[in-house]
Parts: sequence; C-alpha cells; structure tokens
Amino acid sequence: MSDQNATLGLSSVDRSGLRGMVSARVGTWLLIAIALCLPMVVGGSWVFALGVCFANAIGVLSVSVLVRYGGEVSIGHTFFSAVGAYTVAILDTRYGIPLWFSVPLALAFGVVAGILFAWPSRRLSGIYLAVSTLALALAVPEIINNADSLTGGYEGLYVSKPLVPGVKMSLQRYYAALAVLLAVTYGLSRLRHSRQGLTLLLAKSHPAAADAFGTRRVWARIAVMGISGGIAALCGAMLAFAGSTVSPSGFTFWAAIFLLVGSVVSVYGLTFPRALIGGAFLTLIPQFLSASGAWIPVLYGVALLGVILAGHYLPQLTQAMGRRKGGA
Amino acid sequence: MDVLTNALTGQGISLSFGGIKVLKGLDVSFRAGEITGLIGPNGAGKTSLFNCLTGAYSPQEGQIAFAGQSLDGLSPAARASKGIVRSFQHVALSPDLTVLENVMIGVARNHDTGWLNAFLPLPRGCAERAEMERAAMGALADLGLADAAHSLPDALPPGMLRLVEIARAIVGKPDVLLLDEPAAGLNNSETRDLMQTLQKLRSGGLVMVVVEHDMDLVMSICDRIYVLNFGEFVACGAPDEVRRDPDVIRIYLGSDDD
Repeated sequence: MSDQNATLGLSSVDRSGLRGMVSARVGTWLLIAIALCLPMVVGGSWVFALGVCFANAIGVLSVSVLVRYGGEVSIGHTFFSAVGAYTVAILDTRYGIPLWFSVPLALAFGVVAGILFAWPSRRLSGIYLAVSTLALALAVPEIINNADSLTGGYEGLYVSKPLVPGVKMSLQRYYAALAVLLAVTYGLSRLRHSRQGLTLLLAKSHPAAADAFGTRRVWARIAVMGISGGIAALCGAMLAFAGSTVSPSGFTFWAAIFLLVGSVVSVYGLTFPRALIGGAFLTLIPQFLSASGAWIPVLYGVALLGVILAGHYLPQLTQAMGRRKGGA
Repeated sequence: MDVLTNALTGQGISLSFGGIKVLKGLDVSFRAGEITGLIGPNGAGKTSLFNCLTGAYSPQEGQIAFAGQSLDGLSPAARASKGIVRSFQHVALSPDLTVLENVMIGVARNHDTGWLNAFLPLPRGCAERAEMERAAMGALADLGLADAAHSLPDALPPGMLRLVEIARAIVGKPDVLLLDEPAAGLNNSETRDLMQTLQKLRSGGLVMVVVEHDMDLVMSICDRIYVLNFGEFVACGAPDEVRRDPDVIRIYLGSDDD
C-alpha cells in the first residue's frame, strides 16, 4: 500500500494545492481591502450600487448553498429574501426598531421559513423541488400586495433608521451589506469544515451512506433549506437597508431566476470573490449596459453566455496550458 | 463478553419486492468476537440481508435484534447510533471531501455540538473537529493510508477507496461491522493487507460480518460461514464444514467435474 502512495505523487499534489490555497487567500484579502476602500474612491451612485451588489451576492450564496450542500436548485428564493426584507422594513417603519435587532430576527424568520418549506417537500428532489420553489416565487408579490396594511402594498416601505447615528447614511448602507456578506462567507467557510458540513456533503452525494452513519437524509434536507432560507433572508434584509426601499417589484419570479443565474455564474462558489461575481452580474452588469436601450436583454444574454462558457472551459484551458508549459 | 448476548440476530426474516421473494424466512445469529462470512452467488440476497439488518429495507416478516434489544422500526441512522455500521458494495464516499474528512464522518455520530459551533470558531466546535481528525488519522494510519489523508477520492485507485470505506466504518469503534464485498477491486497484496487488518479488528465485543466473493479471504478469516442461495440458507458452519458441504459445492463453489 505504501508503494501505491508513492506512485501517486501525493506530496506534489499537496504542494500545488497549498500554493493555490495561499494565492486564493491572498486574492480574497486583497479584494476585501479594495471593497473596504472603494467608497473613498468612487461616487455616490456607485456606492449605492455596490451596496446592493453585496446584498445580491448574499442572495447568490443562499442559492449556491442549496446546490452545494443539498444538490438541489431553487427558482423561488425571493420568498425567503422577501421574509428578511419585510422583517427589517416593517420593524423599521412601523415599530422604529433598528437593524441591530431586526437583522437577527430576519435571519431567524428566514431559517424558520426554510424549515417550514422543507418539511412538506422533504421527499421531493430535482425538477419537482425546483417547481415547488417556483410556487413560492409566484406567490410572493401577491402575498405582499394582499397584506398591504403591513407591507405598504405596491408602494412599499422606506427603510431609514440609521445603524450608527451620526454616520453618513450612504456609507452605512454600503458597509452594513459588506459586513453581512463577509460574515456569511466566513460562516460558510466554517461550515465546510464542521461536523454538520461534512455530513451534509455526504448526504448530498450518498444519502444511503449518510443514513448508515447516523445522518438522516430528511434532517439533511431540512437543515440545508433552513441554512439557505436564513441566508436568503439576510440578503433581503440587506437589500432593504442598502437599497433603502422595499416593494413587491424586488421579489418577482424574475428576481428569483436572476438569483439562480448569479449562482450559476459564480459556479456555485461560496467564497467572497465568487459571491461578488454573482452579485455583480445581477447588479452591475445591467448598470453597465443601461445605455444600450432595447439591446440590454440581448447583451445581458451574451454576457451571461460568455461568463458561463469561461467558467466552464477556463479551468480546463489553464490546465492544458500548464501541461504544455510543463512539457516544454 | 458473552458472544451470544451481544449477538446480532434475525428470526424469520422475509423480504419481497413485488411478487419476488428475495429473503425467505431467514434465521441468523452473528456473534460478537467472531468474523462471520456471508457468501452466495450473485442475486442470492446477501446485500438485501445487509440492508434489512441496517434498516435500509424493512422486511415484511421477522424480527431483528442486537444484544437482546429489538431493532424493528428503527431507521438506519438510529441503528448507526447503536453502533451498527456498514460499508457499501459500491464505494460511497463524498467526492467533495478529502479522504480524511470522509473518514471523520465515521465518528460524527459520537459528537453533538450545536449549530453555532458549525458557523463560529467556538471552543467546543474546534475541539470536536480536532478530536474527529485525530481519530480519523489513526484509522487511516492503521490501514496504511495516512499518506493519502488529504487527497480527494477521485485521485485514488479503487482499491484504496475500498480501504478508506473500511476506515470510515471502523473509526467510530462500532459494535457491529457489516462489510459488503470489502475486497472487491483490491489486488492480491491489498487483499492480504485487508485480511490482516480484519483479523486485527477481531475483538470480544465486535460482531463482524463479511459479504465476499473472494473465497480465499472468506475461508481464511471467517469463524463461521452462512451460504445463501435464492434467499435461503443452504449451509452454515465452520469454513471446513462449508467447504465440504455437497450443496455448497454444487451451487456455489463448483464440483470436481467443472
């Protein structure tokens, strides 16, 4: 057996893996530093757009978690983000409760909503689960409009309470979203190495094996939906604060589809840079294309195709080029 | 420890899929401290019996008990928490996890830190992770796999993956260890290593059952052998008795004329 290990060249694999990990970590820290400094460099509208981009990046993470840990796809996560957004907005406008208290509540409500959805749908998977999440997405705007005495109906609600009194509101909206995004990516990086994370990953690929080692597949599904729902609610909470308004138009079926698109574009990554790619695709690319008028959907489609193809083939191309360089 | 009081037993186990009877009223007793072989041609019902014992299948008739306590109605996860673990005929490791992490799952059932520990760097969660890592590394070292601990399963040959599965099964110090074709895909030297490992694992408190097609392995390490054919036991006894049994020779091992 030891001979076998020797022929595998495991130490060289470990070395190259370590190098990759170090460079990825340095890149992430660099990106965080840039994000922290950006408001000092860019103008007000960009600070606002980047704040919304961070909030959307959290939403992208919520879908990616479901894919990575549950092996399932959702096209209805706007339901959970609406739960978070309206928790923050209603507590802010109706009861004057600031973000410090409303965000943890939004997270708790999102987790509960995820669990409540997961329980009846625990035996569904693949296309059947995706379609059942679609029902959530279609129901959200109607639920919001019908509860207009609480939600403000079509007009929505305006979130105005500062997080830290005396600090410029535009900066608060930016940094709060960035802080929550960083907290979520940190939490997810911890989850990956935790006992719960390991068992969830086994339950995704081999549910029978997970069962045989003490992890019930039903528990795994409910746990993943709870986590995903909680993160989506944080996305909604931050969309409400960073975007300052909450209305049904932000939680349509198309918004749910775009969360999935963002997740695909980020290759279901759960790191800060990957989430940013997804969030930027949802927020910044439409802004860049805004001058193109009627061509916006076409150009967006082309950009989407380009990013997906690059995400799919770039690692293989890089690997092939590395091999060629190594051979020469 | 009394081998009979700690036995995994089944009485009258019957299992059908539609109109097809897969297991026909089987009575079994797998004793602690022994290695029991379960052999038979393909389709004889060996894996189905494993699935009944671990709770993956619910037999239509019969009772299954461990150490005198009924296991009927318990889920596979609940049986795992009672120390009944298994390996799989087809390797069932997570491709997203390293070898070490896959093996760590084998001890997960012995730990119970809450969800906050999964997301935050709290002392209990960190200690749990370190303890799981230590146990998994020990099991890998016992099977000569320590060098592969940080590799992903995709990077390893099938024989090694089999051994990783066994490491995952034994790391939690189970009371019942059910191994489904552990030598499948192993070369001769790996099979010899496996035989030594299984013999080392033999202990007073452990019920070990091995489903295997490799007759050399079964005959060398097993204390008792059950021979299954078309859902019925055709023989049961020590390896030498089974080897001489005319029914076994006819249906499974082949006659002298072959």
